[in-house]
Amino acid sequence: MASKYRNETIRKRQRFEEKTGWEEINDATKDRASHKSRALLAVAIVFLLSTFYLNHIFKIQITDHEIYTVKSEDNRIRVRPIEPIRGNIFDRNGNVLAESYDTFDIVAKKENISSKDEFILNASKVFSLNEFEIKDLTSQFEDKKLKEVTLKYNTSIEEFTKLSVDQYLLPEMELIIKSNRRYIYPEAMSHLIGYTGKLSNKDYDSVVDIKDGMTSVGKIGVERFYQNLLSGSPGYEKLETNANNEIIRVLEKKPALRGQDIYLTIDSKLQNYSYDLLENKEGTIIVMNPHSGDILSFVSHPGYDNNLFANGISSKDYKKLLDDKSKPLFNRVLFGQYPPGSIIKPFFGIVALEEGIIDKTKVFACTGAYKLENYKRPFKCWKKDGHMDVNLSSAVASSCDVFFYRLAETSGIDLMHDKLKKFGFGEKTFIDLYGERKGLLPSREWKNQSRQAPWYPGETLNVGIGQGYFLTTPLQLANATSLLASGGESTTPHLFLKSINNGKEQSYKYSENKNTISIDTDSLHIVNEAMWRVVYDKKMGTAAHLKNIEGIEFAGKTGTAQVYNLDKGKTGKKSLQDHALFTSFAPFESPEIVVAVIVDNGGSGSAVAAPIARDIINFYFKNIKTKVAQR
Amino acid sequence: MSYSSTEFSGLSALFKIDLKLFVLVMLIVIIGLATLFSVSGGDINLIIKQLIRIAIGLTAMILLAQIHPDNFRLFSPLLYFFGIILLVLTIFFGVGKSADRWLDFYILRFQPSELMKLFVPLMIASFYSDKSLPPKLKNLSIAVIIIIVPALLIAKQPDLGTALLITSSGVIAIFLSGIKLSHIFLGTGLVIGAIPLLWSFMYEYQKSRVLSFFSPNTDTLGSGYHLAQSKISLGSGGLFGKGYMNGTQSQLDFLPENHTDFIFSAFGEEFGFVGVVILISLYVLVALRGMSISIKATDNFSRILSATLILTIFLYVLVNVGMVVGILPIVGAPLPFMSYGGTSMLTVFAALGIIMSIKSHQRLMRK
Repeated sequence: MASKYRNETIRKRQRFEEKTGWEEINDATKDRASHKSRALLAVAIVFLLSTFYLNHIFKIQITDHEIYTVKSEDNRIRVRPIEPIRGNIFDRNGNVLAESYDTFDIVAKKENISSKDEFILNASKVFSLNEFEIKDLTSQFEDKKLKEVTLKYNTSIEEFTKLSVDQYLLPEMELIIKSNRRYIYPEAMSHLIGYTGKLSNKDYDSVVDIKDGMTSVGKIGVERFYQNLLSGSPGYEKLETNANNEIIRVLEKKPALRGQDIYLTIDSKLQNYSYDLLENKEGTIIVMNPHSGDILSFVSHPGYDNNLFANGISSKDYKKLLDDKSKPLFNRVLFGQYPPGSIIKPFFGIVALEEGIIDKTKVFACTGAYKLENYKRPFKCWKKDGHMDVNLSSAVASSCDVFFYRLAETSGIDLMHDKLKKFGFGEKTFIDLYGERKGLLPSREWKNQSRQAPWYPGETLNVGIGQGYFLTTPLQLANATSLLASGGESTTPHLFLKSINNGKEQSYKYSENKNTISIDTDSLHIVNEAMWRVVYDKKMGTAAHLKNIEGIEFAGKTGTAQVYNLDKGKTGKKSLQDHALFTSFAPFESPEIVVAVIVDNGGSGSAVAAPIARDIINFYFKNIKTKVAQR
Repeated sequence: MSYSSTEFSGLSALFKIDLKLFVLVMLIVIIGLATLFSVSGGDINLIIKQLIRIAIGLTAMILLAQIHPDNFRLFSPLLYFFGIILLVLTIFFGVGKSADRWLDFYILRFQPSELMKLFVPLMIASFYSDKSLPPKLKNLSIAVIIIIVPALLIAKQPDLGTALLITSSGVIAIFLSGIKLSHIFLGTGLVIGAIPLLWSFMYEYQKSRVLSFFSPNTDTLGSGYHLAQSKISLGSGGLFGKGYMNGTQSQLDFLPENHTDFIFSAFGEEFGFVGVVILISLYVLVALRGMSISIKATDNFSRILSATLILTIFLYVLVNVGMVVGILPIVGAPLPFMSYGGTSMLTVFAALGIIMSIKSHQRLMRK
């Protein structure tokens, strides 16, 4: 079958060849022409496709050139920010309160480590790691979020140099510089200085100036308020890197600009002394210069260890602070609002004299209680038996309530509100810290708006003795006392003394921050003298039991602010006990310092707060003396 | 005309070399070496290795140019079946990283699929050499079988890219043999019908490559990464390029495979669109020269073979460039005469040798 087929093809082929000839079969004009036309078609397709390709490449290389140039640069250029060194914070005498320091961590990038086991083995040799440390190292390897493992934290260059002898064992190890913040007086100055922390989204929406490359920022306190001075400017390094993220070369470098050093008005000795006086208590102390507004002590007790925050607080530590009943994270100076209690009396007295409601000789009788029309219960004086006949001076000295009930009834709430405002009640003092509270100087209008209720006459009486809706902040009390001490020529309370930027000093602008009010000299004199009697009038002065300070006389006013309408505050829970207040200035003749003390739920101002102020004044004139020049 | 050039052309005649084709290809080779030198960061060893491969390729080219085309025609079936056997052996004894493409003979290690790039066009040209053209449906079907068998064997390795390239060169050969229009329609219909079947045969990584071709931006670090970086290299090159040795994409290794499959992008980054136009033009000129040889050839075997080979080389250029600029999926095909690597260099030079043999052994026409 097969041979038959083969024979037939041979025969066919022979016949074909005889008819046409060999060349015609293989080189027939027809084939040749046909091939040529197809070949030309193929050439046309070659041209067509080439044009299509070139058009496509044109789009990439010419039309989209810009886009791809950016992408190409993004690929190779890494910008590495250089963190600036944060300026230090000093007290008024140049003692360091907060400083930046570098620490060195010895780390190894995971990508550079070829054998994990070998690395751990060598690391334990070089660093003579114990079992626990080896376990920690292993867990660092397992943590996929970490790109590097840290072999040693907070080491020094010297130590690293020593260790580098063994570098051949651990060629992967490298030194990383970290800038840290250290607070010298963590507890005592925590509320004042605040702390720095990692930059968060919230910081971008704030008043703080966030520059590219910053990683940490002042969170609260002075660190926050003076962030823009302290932070400096980050620099950067433009690096060329390859696909493996290895640095090929530095293309450009701009060094970071160091932050400014700032000096505070604080006297660290006095601050620490004041802080310690509040041991086992909760409260605030403000010591300030009544003329210059310089704050020498800014105490909110208890404080907290702000170094914990600066170095990244653990959630356990944070919870502990949050759960602490003494509220160590609560800045009482800024956020605490207290009824002023009897401390309002000298100020109200000046207002009454100035407005001609009374004169210095006007006498009211105190029988221990004051009866108001339409009120069943009488308004009690703190002294059950009453003070007998009192004028303004003795009413301030003995802190007679009835006298001021009458005064309040005569004045009316509108006048009280309008006139007491000039001492700064109900308004921020504008201290150089964020978050200050306003307190509350109540008025008819305020009650209408916030409570939708009319003002009752009894409420006027409560305001007259610094109770009821009346709320003041410790700063307001210190500020108002400064106005009395300076005769109405004070300066806004402030913490900033000067900054030093590259040797150039920038001082606090006292003239631009004048806090001036007009006070009638005679009225001021009467009231200041009454405040002297508080301390020195043995017969009736509420703080006359205080031990005298040698060579110095001072004036003050006690206050016992009721937290709740609890009789005398001697029973019940501690949180419902009265706040003890005392405000004072010294020396009496030419005041240099104002001391305001509040002890939360401490009991009576006379017994608890006044001795603290007395000790501070004593300490100040003994140990610090008149270094604080009058400005 | 100067004496030396006459002497050179005399020399080229002696070695049976087509001077025009040779010069064009050598220009491309020099561009390739220069680019290679740049992307390797001036690695002389790499250049020497490549030079050795080029030398081997040139030797093969000259040797093949000496052989009379009739011998290619006669031995084509033998070579073809030999190639098929090797492919079958590869399936059973092949080695390789991700796919078993290599045959290891201890002294010699090579990819039989690479041989088939030459043997399939040879076989088809040889098959049609004594058939009347345009081919009848029967002969057409036989040609299809000649293509399909090795293509399937290679696809099984799995090396889809090479399988498709071999199929394409076979299709080119059939087209050049003078296929009828109706058959073209039939073939197109069959191919479209085969696509879903092909898809089901594909491995996951092959599928992902094809998919990434259609949406390269969705997965820049996966399979789309190569293409994205390639386009960045080309695009950032602009009109005149970043300058020789200054291509950041290739110098800093952002462009992957920058001395093999993606050498075109590396070249385009440093020499810009101007360079790209010149390079593409050189390849077009190579194709034109080959087609001119084919048109002047005196028998069907020579015509079909030379045209198929030169168009196949050009097709490889289109596939490689098409893949690095995003016209085609990334299949892993080298750029002829430029990419670093031995086997493909040898194949394209061998193809050139066969074309030159056809050129220099032309029969004198009787009429």
